[in-house]
Amino acid sequence: MSATVTASAPPRRSSLMRYFRHPGFLIGTILLTAMLAIAVAAPWIAPWSPLDTDLGNTLAPPSAQHLLGTDQFGRDVLSRLIWGTRTSLQVAVAVMVLSLSLGMVVGAVAGFFGGWVERVTVSVIDILLAFPGFLLALALVAVRGSSLESVIVAVALAYTPRVAAVMRAVVLTIKPRPYVEASRAIGMGNLRLLFLHVVPNSLPPVIVVATIGAATAILAEAGLSFLGLGVQPPAPTWGNVIADGQSFLASNPVISLSAGLCIAVMVVALNLLGDGLRDTLDPQMRRSSGKML
Amino acid sequence: MDRLTRQLTQLAITVFGIVTVTFFLVRMIPGDPAQYMLGDYATEEALATLRAQLGLDRPVIVQYGLYALRALTGDFGASVVTGRPALEEILSSLPDSALLAFAGLAIAVVIGIPLGIVTAERQGSWSDLLIMVVALFGISFPVFWLGLASVLLFSQELKWFPALGASSGGGFLDQIHHLVLPAGVLGVSVAAYITRLTRSAMLEVLNQDYIRVARAMGVPQRRVVWRLALKNALVPILAIVGVTFAWSLGSAILIEVVFSRPGIGSMILKAVSARDYQLVQAGVLVLAVAVVLVNSLLDLAYGLVDPRLSAR
Amino acid sequence: MANPNLSVAPPPPVAPVPAPRPVALELRDLTTVFPGDDGPITVIDGISLAVRDGGTLAVVGESGSGKSMTFLSALGLVASPGRVQRGEVRIGGAEILGRTPEQLRRLRGAVVSMIFQDPLTALNPVFTIGEQIVEVLRAHSGLGRAAARARAVELLARVQIPDPSRRIDDYPHQLSGGQRQRVLIAMAIALSPKVLIADEPTTALDVTVQAQILDLLADLQAETGMALVLITHDLGLVARYADDVAVMYAGRLVEVGSIEEVFSAPRHPYTRALFRSIPRLDGPVDEELPAIEGQPPNVARLPPGCAFEPRCTLGHGRADCCTKRPLPLAGDRAGHRSACFHADRLDQMEAAR
Repeated sequence: MSATVTASAPPRRSSLMRYFRHPGFLIGTILLTAMLAIAVAAPWIAPWSPLDTDLGNTLAPPSAQHLLGTDQFGRDVLSRLIWGTRTSLQVAVAVMVLSLSLGMVVGAVAGFFGGWVERVTVSVIDILLAFPGFLLALALVAVRGSSLESVIVAVALAYTPRVAAVMRAVVLTIKPRPYVEASRAIGMGNLRLLFLHVVPNSLPPVIVVATIGAATAILAEAGLSFLGLGVQPPAPTWGNVIADGQSFLASNPVISLSAGLCIAVMVVALNLLGDGLRDTLDPQMRRSSGKML
Repeated sequence: MDRLTRQLTQLAITVFGIVTVTFFLVRMIPGDPAQYMLGDYATEEALATLRAQLGLDRPVIVQYGLYALRALTGDFGASVVTGRPALEEILSSLPDSALLAFAGLAIAVVIGIPLGIVTAERQGSWSDLLIMVVALFGISFPVFWLGLASVLLFSQELKWFPALGASSGGGFLDQIHHLVLPAGVLGVSVAAYITRLTRSAMLEVLNQDYIRVARAMGVPQRRVVWRLALKNALVPILAIVGVTFAWSLGSAILIEVVFSRPGIGSMILKAVSARDYQLVQAGVLVLAVAVVLVNSLLDLAYGLVDPRLSAR
Repeated sequence: MANPNLSVAPPPPVAPVPAPRPVALELRDLTTVFPGDDGPITVIDGISLAVRDGGTLAVVGESGSGKSMTFLSALGLVASPGRVQRGEVRIGGAEILGRTPEQLRRLRGAVVSMIFQDPLTALNPVFTIGEQIVEVLRAHSGLGRAAARARAVELLARVQIPDPSRRIDDYPHQLSGGQRQRVLIAMAIALSPKVLIADEPTTALDVTVQAQILDLLADLQAETGMALVLITHDLGLVARYADDVAVMYAGRLVEVGSIEEVFSAPRHPYTRALFRSIPRLDGPVDEELPAIEGQPPNVARLPPGCAFEPRCTLGHGRADCCTKRPLPLAGDRAGHRSACFHADRLDQMEAAR
């Protein structure tokens, strides 16, 4: 009797577990969790204040007291990097939330309603995609003034059209599916249809794009900070630390190199997460999002 | 022909959109642009002059109309700092940037596309894993950091290449010598991106029925991958190159700063810190139009590769 | 006409029966596995089949039963991470499974060819049909460009593409579905193979076109004497075109025999369920496989005994069916064999009807 049951029941595995079987996803999650822990625990684990200067001990090489040495103002590099984790994560999360919410609404409206709404939206998306994202962010920061908020808004705006484009593509593939047409036939309103069928189905591929958007956001924030247009010094951000260390590259390479490594680890983690999500999603979704990327 | 007309229309609409976006971009300046440009200590008189000069005293819609009309004739106003026409400023720094961006893109294409094909062909092998891990790090390190690290290694330690400048006045060989490091860094960074995307485009094609058929008919693996599959993957690969062109322009700005090279990136950056917003506006506009033009050319190339597209 | 039974000469003393034609393709105990979460999954399990020169073998079964996988395995085309675990594949008597990938490549398309279900996706969209046929010709022969092209025109004419010297420069999207399948057939017969494996060649086509394609295959077979393996869902085609039939279920053979034997006296409940809507060989035969109650099997989780047992009306719940190991094919009535513990009861039931 028991043989009958096992023969017909497909193997049941929690869908979340499927993701963790992907080595990239697993590594990405572990790295990000570690980063998150560091960001949260920054006040307790940072050995020094990230802002306290010590002009008697500038550009010190790595030592037991200052594991990564000090910068030109005598600030502890390690502590600045630990606090910098907060800025990067803030930027990543904020950009993801902003570009996701805005991009999904715009893309869904375009894909779902079609007609002139779609044509106009697609044109606007195309136009915004023509701007090199980093350049657009740079110009926005230039006119709005340099601050964490400006950086977040600028990168989110630069990334929103990408989310919207993917969202629209996904909606277009979902729209002709039988269950959507059936719901429409029984007179379900557009808005209910959107939230009941389209949004849940489009979440995975859109999240993939947003994850990669968050990675790009961290790189863009670092780039803007490096140019002196991002979060203003003396705030500890990874981009600022690289910029601080640039002048002392020959004598104290540890400053810039270690900050770059922090950025790379965070971005690798986000990319691994995005890759893992994409690989684990069903092939059809992989196709629709793969083309857009 | 129909396709060409449609593309030209699309191009015109996009360029018009870019003009519009750049206009409203600087209107996002909080408060008075004249105040913003001249700083807090400007006299009321100077502010009024500048407002009149920029047309800021007229209604926004009139300003927009004038801006669009002038932009179409190539008049982007003058740099507030140097007084030279913005277009002239841009055109004088464009060649340096174009050289860097195209050299970088060429390196990226030459490295990235073959690596993407080889990794797709050997999906799951050790060489695939190794190359993909390297590519993952390639897209994850900030390009300016790669620039700094390469200056440290190749200029300061090994002393193979000069670290700074473009030697614009120097001889051809000297200019190349100065170009190798920045273009190489840009190229490697973009190559990582192209490798990843080429690999997934090829994997998608290699999974198609017609590839299985070719294998079932005994067509040799080399022909299957490098001829039958590659021609199919060429349209997505060209699209990837288009996307990376915009990306490498953005990266070129940072590379120019790291290597103290003249170019549009350095120019825009200087304009930003001088609050020379007409110049920023014009620079962003020209780069965006360049991206659109390159992508339109690529669009035309798709038709040559895929007969289904040219037929439509 | 060369049948020795009809010759006027006195019958030879030893062999009164006509010597059977030689076996073109033979599979023995072919088994392919894919790695799974809980150890390897056997997707085809111990398949033994043969088709003779000029003969037609139909392979039927639900989708996912391993029909296509059997022949992809035989040709060394199983995609990684799947692999052939054991078995033999003989072409014209010679074992090929142990050969190098390059040797296998030389056989594919030249000695054994394959055509596929969906002609819409089986042709490369960015090459002309001529380029694609030439590619196959040049993969196996030293033909020059011009000679290969001329041969391609001949082949297109042979598969009845009108105006072949002009259509050769068409792209696949300019052709109808039926024409595309003809082009694929032209590619498949380009090197005069000994065996042609047709994997559901007409499933994606119009009913009127289906008959044309199959008649074309039958003509080509009569002309060249190649063996034909017809993988299909369509029992009507089996009855009309095949000599022998093999029924697969869950990666295993459940019944093999001549179509007369299998259609008139099926010896496996699964075969019976398939044929239920086709009472007689001479009745209406244009039926698709009827739905059978119960879940199609998951090859990753087969019961220890007969894979069909959970859906079987005859053996369901019987201890011998579900606890023993799967029964190997048995029975010897003119090569008619089945894998059922109750085959003889089936015979009685059939007789009682």
